[in-house]
Amino acid sequence: MFDDLERADVFRAVADPTRRAMLELLRETDRSVNELVERFPVSQPAISRHLRVLREAGLVRPRKAGRQRVYTLEAGPLQEVYDWVEHYRRFWPRRLKALGEYLDRQPEPRSEEA
Amino acid sequence: MSRTLTFEAFYPHPPDRVWRALTDRRAISEWLMENDFEPRVGHRFQFRAPPQPGWNGIVDCQVLEADPPRRLAYSWVSNAIDTRVAWTLTPEAGGTRLRLEHSGFRGLKGYMVSFILGSGWKGKILKEIARVLDELDRIAPATGAQ
Repeated sequence: MFDDLERADVFRAVADPTRRAMLELLRETDRSVNELVERFPVSQPAISRHLRVLREAGLVRPRKAGRQRVYTLEAGPLQEVYDWVEHYRRFWPRRLKALGEYLDRQPEPRSEEA
Repeated sequence: MSRTLTFEAFYPHPPDRVWRALTDRRAISEWLMENDFEPRVGHRFQFRAPPQPGWNGIVDCQVLEADPPRRLAYSWVSNAIDTRVAWTLTPEAGGTRLRLEHSGFRGLKGYMVSFILGSGWKGKILKEIARVLDELDRIAPATGAQ
């Protein structure tokens, strides 16, 4: 199933708006599970599931702080996604333009062989 | 969220000519990269460009679809990121609309690990996070190239 195949997939992890909002909150500062639960109109089990997806994608790291688990943002995977996206967002428009220029340089069909 | 980068362009040339530019080895080298392409499903080939820091300049590919002059798709594996490039040609008045979809990230995990193990990413990344999230929101279908 989709879930199993892509469990550690950072793209899937950030596809969900709640998880993106959680990452935004963790960008400001480390937060405990309770602090995260307070911020969202969903149950604690739902938040825990989201945290599990984020953890398995390598986007957050938990640590024990007394009786609490506190989560820290791990940004490395996002950098990789960002670099990939940025590279091809620049690459393809340039290549499509070059394709157009190549086509315009070619002789008209009449004068072409076959 | 879409996992696909999509671009579109219009060319004032008929689909047959655009198809030839997409599938003729010499033509492809003029606008994309040196290659040993053949428009035959199953054919394995490479694109080659001068190596750059962080990239050996090689893209490993295999033809997945070749339906002239409408649709062409090949796998696109570069830097251990396994993706797929698909071209769709649609005739329009006065020319051809070309749609390009670049999708799929199957090999990402392994690459992520080596990336994270590398040094120097941490300082830069924290500043970029917000932009990354915005970017991912924006990559919906029909990101126009034209």
